[in-house]
Amino acid sequence: MQAAIPPQARSKSLRACLLCSVIQLPGDFRKHGCPNCEEILQMKGAPDRISSCTTTQFDGIIAVIDPDNSWVARWQRTAKYVRGMYAVRVSGRIPEDVEMELERRNIKYRPRDQSDQD
Amino acid sequence: MSDEEDQHMFRNEEEDEDGHAEEDENVEDDDEVMDDSRKKNKSSRRHQEEDDEEEDDEEEEDEDDEEEEEEEEEMHGRKGKKRAKHRHKRSALSRFLDIEAEVSEEEEEEEEDEEYGADTFITNEHDVDDDVTRRTNALLDSSRHFEEEDSRSPEEIAKAVARRHRDRAAPYTGDMNEIPQRLLMPSVHDASLWQVRVKPGRERDIVFSLMRKAIDVEYTARPLSIVSAFQRDSLPGMIYVEARSSKQVQEACNGLVGVYPSRGIQLVPIEEMASLLQIKKQEATLDIGAWVRIRRGKYAGDLAQVMDQTDTGEDVGVRLIPRIDMNPRDDMSIDPQGKKRKKTATGPGSMRPPQRLFNYEEILKVYGRKNVTKRNQAFVFQNDTYKDGFLEKDFKANALITEDVNPTLDEITQFTRRQDGGDDNPVNLSAIAEASRKAAISVLQPGDHVEVFEGEQSGVHGVVDEIHGEIVTITAQGLDLEGQKMEIAARSVRKRFKPGDHVKVMAGQNADETGLVVSVSENVVTFVSDMSMQEISVFSKDLREAAEVGSGSNVVGNYELYDLVQLDAQTVGVIFKTERDSFRVLDQHGQVRLVQPHQISMRRDSHRAIATDSEGHELRVNDNVKEVDGEGRKGRVLHTHQSFFAFLHNRDIAENSGVFVTRTRSLASLAPKSNVLKTAGADLSKMNPAMVAPTGGMVGSGNMGRGPRDRDIGATVTVIKGPHKGYVGTIKDTNGPIARVELRTGNKIIMIEKTKIYRRYPDGRLEPLDKAPRNTGFATPALPGPGMGGYGGQPMNNGGRTPYNSGKTPNPYSGDSRTPAWNASSRTPNPYSDSRTPAWNASSRTPNPYADGGRTPAWNVSSRTPNPYATGANAGATSGAGWGGATPGRNVGGWQTPGRATQAPAWNAPAPQNEGWGSPSRGVASAPTPWDSWSAPTPGAAPTPGLHAGPTPAYATPAPHIQTPAAGGWSADAHNVATPGVMPNVFELTNPDEDLDGEWMFEPELVNYIGRVKVIVDSKQGRSNYSEYNGRRGRITTAQKVPTAFQQTVLVRFMDRPGQSEEVSLPSSCVVPVQPSYSNEEVLVLGGKRIGNALVIREKPEPGDKKVVVSSKETPLNIDNVPMNLVGAMYEEGSF
Repeated sequence: MQAAIPPQARSKSLRACLLCSVIQLPGDFRKHGCPNCEEILQMKGAPDRISSCTTTQFDGIIAVIDPDNSWVARWQRTAKYVRGMYAVRVSGRIPEDVEMELERRNIKYRPRDQSDQD
Repeated sequence: MSDEEDQHMFRNEEEDEDGHAEEDENVEDDDEVMDDSRKKNKSSRRHQEEDDEEEDDEEEEDEDDEEEEEEEEEMHGRKGKKRAKHRHKRSALSRFLDIEAEVSEEEEEEEEDEEYGADTFITNEHDVDDDVTRRTNALLDSSRHFEEEDSRSPEEIAKAVARRHRDRAAPYTGDMNEIPQRLLMPSVHDASLWQVRVKPGRERDIVFSLMRKAIDVEYTARPLSIVSAFQRDSLPGMIYVEARSSKQVQEACNGLVGVYPSRGIQLVPIEEMASLLQIKKQEATLDIGAWVRIRRGKYAGDLAQVMDQTDTGEDVGVRLIPRIDMNPRDDMSIDPQGKKRKKTATGPGSMRPPQRLFNYEEILKVYGRKNVTKRNQAFVFQNDTYKDGFLEKDFKANALITEDVNPTLDEITQFTRRQDGGDDNPVNLSAIAEASRKAAISVLQPGDHVEVFEGEQSGVHGVVDEIHGEIVTITAQGLDLEGQKMEIAARSVRKRFKPGDHVKVMAGQNADETGLVVSVSENVVTFVSDMSMQEISVFSKDLREAAEVGSGSNVVGNYELYDLVQLDAQTVGVIFKTERDSFRVLDQHGQVRLVQPHQISMRRDSHRAIATDSEGHELRVNDNVKEVDGEGRKGRVLHTHQSFFAFLHNRDIAENSGVFVTRTRSLASLAPKSNVLKTAGADLSKMNPAMVAPTGGMVGSGNMGRGPRDRDIGATVTVIKGPHKGYVGTIKDTNGPIARVELRTGNKIIMIEKTKIYRRYPDGRLEPLDKAPRNTGFATPALPGPGMGGYGGQPMNNGGRTPYNSGKTPNPYSGDSRTPAWNASSRTPNPYSDSRTPAWNASSRTPNPYADGGRTPAWNVSSRTPNPYATGANAGATSGAGWGGATPGRNVGGWQTPGRATQAPAWNAPAPQNEGWGSPSRGVASAPTPWDSWSAPTPGAAPTPGLHAGPTPAYATPAPHIQTPAAGGWSADAHNVATPGVMPNVFELTNPDEDLDGEWMFEPELVNYIGRVKVIVDSKQGRSNYSEYNGRRGRITTAQKVPTAFQQTVLVRFMDRPGQSEEVSLPSSCVVPVQPSYSNEEVLVLGGKRIGNALVIREKPEPGDKKVVVSSKETPLNIDNVPMNLVGAMYEEGSF
């Protein structure tokens, strides 16, 4: 199981998931959704959803080859996620409804913009 | 819990087994740095997998029928199956341990941290969905079942696995979110980070390549053993690879383009690992109202203001000044939709339209009504929205430059002014300052005087000692902190200036200006420029204290401030501002251009250009003029162009440094030319053949009106030396000692020294040029034989002069006037002393035609010529200087007064009224002479003779004419008197009268008497609003001139209410002198040639009188006319 690896590194349309920071092409988000958080974000086939839950505003790209053994992935809190390309920092926050849903599930939402480092 | 136990059991067994495998691996990994046993435990899983794969490989080699195509999981399953066979208990279960194994691993890792361990454990217990637990159980069950049931087909197994994974991917748990970041810091057990040099710009590609490569070779003999790789945008030229050893990194990077492993694969120290991922690009967060620049496209570099942005920050709505092509190609206006594509296609080559506010009317005119639609308050044009004149457009965030925007004051003013519809709303300077604040850090230098403006130390000021990155150390000054050193963030300090400091601008468009600080407000410092006397506001960061006065070089390349320059075939302009290496030029259409010296094709000389003003007068460079229509601006003519455009300069106008362009037809001279001049006309002199005479009567007529120029021009000469010796020619032009001579032969113009040419008379005689010419040109037709013969022998004697007059002018008076005139002047050293008195009686009462005639026509031409050398507006000063220049001349001997008197007629000599010599009316012509004695004592004029002495060499040439009477009996000294220094005098005599300007009271000549001048307040003058004092009378107690940029004020003490003494400061422009009203009243001449003379009214002035009859107190008989508007009544001496 792994995320779709975009074929073009230069592609300007690369988008990073606001929740798990995985980087994919918008087309892949549309076809398969987010490989990690599709259950909550439900982006598959929903372009509006994709544009609100992913962004092109990210900095730094990580190729997570072996998530389980990677300190980088653990530091980025993506160790439990699938193999794939991840962003180091993603600007923006997930939509409010997702944030509420996370709250309801007692999951702490950590924005990916490194704004809260504890 | 049984599961848990199971897992532990499995784990232990695994570890046992892995022990061997890992030893092997350690042998392989000679670079392996971590040999801690705990590390081995932790990494056991990975190694185990590797082991498995290796084993698999071996086994697969044996069993060829095994396929690799199958899913990883399935393979694991099979492996497990095999292992279950080979090694007891090492079952397929191991692959299902993911979650639980991870948890236990962490537990182990953080063993010492009891609290945390407990936390995670419990958390996991609680957090992991029941669902998950259930599923895990189920899976475990199924795997056991799996173990037992070998009989299941591979398809079924695959299906089960697929189902399992589909289910597993579903729920989002965020299960790592609860761990504080600090607990995720790397430990020695983690794989290390290795820094790899790559080709700058290829970082992303290489990270992607590594990922793809890892996937590609995953199941080959040599899979990549790196764990991860990443790149940061802020760290160009390097990527970081997470791996156990540098060898693994090397292997991974092998064969990738753009990676430079040869430049070293460096280990990142463990304490720096986290910071690599924490690097935060210092992002200028885009707030509403922030300033940005457009990165590319038509608006590249333009300033824009952020209006809104989307939540993700991707799209930013900005407002900017549109650039609409107002000269579209014709076809575009016809079909904008269709041609728009064409436009973009031709875009790069075409010129970028200038920034211009969106104007509905204009757009309608150019593009037609169809293309502009109005929607609410905005207009939609070519798919863009325009509101309040601005273009409102959405840009992608990365199409905007948000850092180092540094908007200039100009740009922001454009925005604010247009925004408010007026400029009453002051610019929010702090906003700009904030925008350029970052740059402020880099402008500090040790020794700068700074103040802290924010934070705890706010208000402290001191001197910068050292600068360390963002921290400056300052030595505080003042109060109790004196001498204390403190460290302050650089962004919290700003340079400190106080009024009175002399500063220099270091950056920006005012760079190199220097001046005195007049006010400081926050970080905006206003100073008065040393050069332009204008107030300039700049940010304190751009300033530095400097003792030097702005070099203010007004010269760039070959061009200078106020030069008239040719920009292209159709365009000329005047340089009104020089910048470091460019000019600002105002062209004849009023457009301001920024021009580099190389864009200027040539400098134009308009000094000889003549234009005509609204009244038909000649308009020349340096004339002071006023617009008769439009704004009524005043100014000095800098240049005229094609007799149509006039470039004027007025320091009071701030725009374009006071330079503006207007049409000559809408100008009127500020110094009114007298009516006589108008009616008699400047042309009188042209009509006067006498003036032409000296030039030989051939080419002279065209030269009239040019004032004193070389009288030799036009003379026929013979070259007496050099290669052209013997040639005859005509002088076309002279330049100092060099003459341009057009030779009669060969149609050739040569440059030759004047000493090498002799004047040639028609009779063939030669004479040096510097000798006065004989008037043979005219004499010949008038007196053919005798004229030539009679004077040939003694061309310079009086007799020779006499026929000169008669010959030139068919003048009825010539016959009798001739003899007495010359006799009188030539024989007696002071011929006018006796003729003066009777002359006055006549002239003062009756408007003697000759009085005016004698003065004006002959003079008007020459009277204007000194003006080019005058300083400008104050013709009064010129006259003062003129008189002053005369002073030393008079001191030479007792006869100076007549000496001067004769100079005046010397100029007059060619005039038709030459019978005036010696006749009573002659006295009028020389009437001003006696007044010399008045001006002599005025000290104000004395220091200035040099002013005109310099430029006047040209006057030396007229000397021959003066010589004529002089030669008639005057000593050689008379020539000396007639030296250039005196010449301006002569011109001044007839200088046109002028109005007093609003600053008459500041004239230095008036300083002795100014306190006695009666003044009246006229609040309508000078648009000041002091109506409460309107009509009040008093005297000026203090008049001190201040720099031009400020309003001139005087202190007036009102005298009209006895008993009250009231002093008020009033603008000088609304204080006007009281005109004299009764006989014997003392008056002061406030302007014109006799400025500063205190006189007495001799005749009661009548209303409407243009002139008053005055005389000095001492010599009541010497009476004179003075223009009414130039005199001011005075209080009696000692009356207060």
